[in-house]
Amino acid sequence: MHKAWKLLVTTVAFLASAMLAMQPAIAEGTFDRILREKKLRVAIDVANPPFGILDKDGQPDGSDVATARALAKDLGVEVEFVQVPSTGRIPALLSGRADVTIASISITADRAKAVMFANPNGALSITIFGPQSVNIKTPADLVGKRIGITRATLEEATVPKMAPPGTNIVWFDDLTSTTQALLSGQVDAVAMTLFAQNKVAEANPDKQIETKLLVTTAFYGPIVRHDEFELRQWINTWLFLNARNGVLAAIYKKHTGVDLPPLPTF
Amino acid sequence: MKYVFHFDVVLDHWPELLDGAWLTIRLSAMAMVLGLAIAVVCAYARTAGPRFVRWLIAAYIEIIRNTPFLVQIFLIYFSLPGLGIRLDANEAALAAMVANLGAYATEIVRAGIDAVPQGQIEAARALGLKRLYIFRFVVLFPALKMVFPALASQFILLMLGSSVVSAISAVELTAVTNSLQSTTFRSFEFYFAATALYLVMALGFRASLAAIYWLVFLRGRAT
Repeated sequence: MHKAWKLLVTTVAFLASAMLAMQPAIAEGTFDRILREKKLRVAIDVANPPFGILDKDGQPDGSDVATARALAKDLGVEVEFVQVPSTGRIPALLSGRADVTIASISITADRAKAVMFANPNGALSITIFGPQSVNIKTPADLVGKRIGITRATLEEATVPKMAPPGTNIVWFDDLTSTTQALLSGQVDAVAMTLFAQNKVAEANPDKQIETKLLVTTAFYGPIVRHDEFELRQWINTWLFLNARNGVLAAIYKKHTGVDLPPLPTF
Repeated sequence: MKYVFHFDVVLDHWPELLDGAWLTIRLSAMAMVLGLAIAVVCAYARTAGPRFVRWLIAAYIEIIRNTPFLVQIFLIYFSLPGLGIRLDANEAALAAMVANLGAYATEIVRAGIDAVPQGQIEAARALGLKRLYIFRFVVLFPALKMVFPALASQFILLMLGSSVVSAISAVELTAVTNSLQSTTFRSFEFYFAATALYLVMALGFRASLAAIYWLVFLRGRAT
């Protein structure tokens, strides 16, 4: 970046923060506001089974939603869900529409440049999967194949890096479209979480869906805006307590069907 | 809450944004030409064709005008492969845009045709002009001139509406913007840039359409 740009950006940043500091209404931190209003606004993605889904009555459900409800209950506040697509998980936070996003956001160094991660509350694997008839056994077999991925997901951050040149990567806005692309044959295979793969395979037995490649395994956690240290520290404290008392493990097991692996902290 | 804008990120990715905008322009321009062609044929057939054809065109118009564009796109991209017709994302997007514009523009062109004074057509008949000749010069030309502003509005709406084709993985401006904001997390900056680009494209299309209007309908004609 040019020096002039740096100077300009720094000046703008300084002026902006000075202006904000002068306004007493905004001087109150997010955490204080949550306690005062007794309301925690949580961004969730309900098109991402088994982490976020809509149940039969159209109510949010899934492991992220259960985690958010338990967290708000222990904080002693009401929870207000802000439903966003996967591409909206970070923007909803940055625009101030939500206080925290709990939407199985895998911890990556790039994302941590934009938001602050609390400690992980779960883990997921990304696989490339497709019908049995499609021949993909090694990453080299991806050449010439059409692989569907969803924007703003861990797939988007990892698959383009591991796929050899010549792989035809096709981007969709949400998991539903990516799934439809696989089922209608518009793509040869797709990359999603292993949990999503199981859901797709279960719902479409005639497609004989199987895992082709394991892309990565990652931990995911709640995110808050930069500088929201009080809120993040409270969430970390809550995660610590609920990792020990088994609540996190119970939520994970109930929704994913597998045991929660030991969660590292940072 | 404070937010620091980093527009230098947008500058870094400017070529990608322009590529996206270029696809938007190409899709829109092609859809405008093909959609108008469909509209003229359908409007003619709807006023002069056999009853069965008129009924068929009415059904096409009502189906397209009373269903969401996004659903039409999904239908073409996700459902047609089941019938053995596999269009890639750009082809499916273009097909949906042409079908959509065709229906709306048919009604606009038909309104223009209806507005041509009956006496003018009778006069042309009295002069012994052939039917297609009458349609082309006595009916269609003045009709298009009358409804051109409405058509131009519909064209711009179509260009702006093309943003939803990102849903089927066509890599136009909105798709590029979404990809960039999701990998750089600079959503405000990229949406601002996309807004500016759409505005420029809309104004550009408007100016081009005004130029076409002048070239086709006004230049060298004393009306």
